[in-house]
Amino acid sequence: MEVTGVHHAYGRRVVLRGVDLRLRPGVLAGIVGENGAGKTTLLRILSGELAPDRGTVRHHGGFGYCPQAAVLNDALTVRQHLDYFKVAYGLGDLRRAEEVMEALQFSEYADERAGVLSGGTRQKLNLTLALMHDPRILLLDEPYQGFDWETYQRFWELADRLREDGRSVLVVSHLAYDAERLDVLWRLDGGLLHERTTEPTA
Amino acid sequence: MTPVRAICRRPLFLTAARYALVEHLRNRFAMVLIALFVPVWTALAFWSVPSTPTRFRLRATGQPLTPHGNQLTEITGALNAVTLIVGFMMFAASFTGGHFDRRLALAGYPRTHLVLAKLTSLTLASAAVAVYATALTRTFWRPEQPVLLAAALFCAGITYGALGVAFGSLLRREVEGMFAIVMTSVIDLALQNPLYSSSSDGSVVRYLPSYGAMQAATGAGFSTTPLPKYLTIQAGWFTAAALVALLAFHFRTRNTLGGRSTCRRQAGSMPTGSRDRATARS
Repeated sequence: MEVTGVHHAYGRRVVLRGVDLRLRPGVLAGIVGENGAGKTTLLRILSGELAPDRGTVRHHGGFGYCPQAAVLNDALTVRQHLDYFKVAYGLGDLRRAEEVMEALQFSEYADERAGVLSGGTRQKLNLTLALMHDPRILLLDEPYQGFDWETYQRFWELADRLREDGRSVLVVSHLAYDAERLDVLWRLDGGLLHERTTEPTA
Repeated sequence: MTPVRAICRRPLFLTAARYALVEHLRNRFAMVLIALFVPVWTALAFWSVPSTPTRFRLRATGQPLTPHGNQLTEITGALNAVTLIVGFMMFAASFTGGHFDRRLALAGYPRTHLVLAKLTSLTLASAAVAVYATALTRTFWRPEQPVLLAAALFCAGITYGALGVAFGSLLRREVEGMFAIVMTSVIDLALQNPLYSSSSDGSVVRYLPSYGAMQAATGAGFSTTPLPKYLTIQAGWFTAAALVALLAFHFRTRNTLGGRSTCRRQAGSMPTGSRDRATARS
């Protein structure tokens, strides 16, 4: 993924002032920044949800996007979500989705409607929908919100496995607790990305 | 036929239509409204209004009619119930499902199929509620043309359903959409009812969203003249509302990377080529 000179403003409030970013294969990268720094705006631009005022975003291959708030249909069950996105992605089976569900340990909720799931389980499904087509790049916006400690650990194990398989993972967070797990860490400040050491800082 | 081509034959329409219908059927409030609101509203309109004959001229036939006041009000009640319920169902689905639709579209679901699925669910919901309201009407009195009455109710239902989709896509808060649907229906139907307004056959009412349906439904109740022209007028309103809804849906689900729906390989296999999806602004 190559990002060049991305600018964005909401009215007079300028959020991004020329973001440049290059994500190589097999890299676990993070972007941290304070509340309102523009992290979600940047990820929405990278995922195609939002058009930048200026700049280019280029994806070489498929990507998966996990939005910050779980984007689900409360009337449909977990299984129906997977079936719907299987058709959207043009997948032949749900093997990968089932692997992710096993890894995040929520397979037993397959027949529950999304509307009755706990916040953490909704987030697991949210993440599974972004991962189930085995994308080359994964864009994750605060992906572990609502996870308990055990699930949080499993999430990082999953991210490590993706990296080993040559996938790139970009995690956006307002905290730098996970800095030691990352290969690259940027800080979004003043509308620009600044590269930081990945030593623990929190 | 290669395996990849086989995967490309996705059941796109059937899947989207099935889940659009599932969503409506699981909208418990809408189901309760259909089960209770339609019979209660039509029954109250029929029983609580005096049966005194009301004389007025129906523009559709050009003939003076003198129907019983309660039968006339019952038709307005049925139109009101159908438009509110179908409008609410489509608004609720559109308002709560907007982000989900965008996620599906960004994941590669062709928007044409999503739109066709919504249209199918709207058609089926409107048809079911219209037939139900017509059947209820027949338990109170005998309209002259029950099939035309059902068709008029159906056309009004799909028009308000399309308006519901437009409101659900354009408005930010749920209460705004509900208010918009209710007020549109109240103003629309109240101005056309000869019991409330002497201008029911005047020039202004011709431009109201359910004018065609009201004329056709009233004609269906009290005359034997077929009124296809007024169903066509109503179809015009539906088309206009559907176009607004379509534009709003298109805007909300657009992919700023300019990506198109493509078939991806099966999970677990590596992509064979680089597929660029880019956006550029300067």
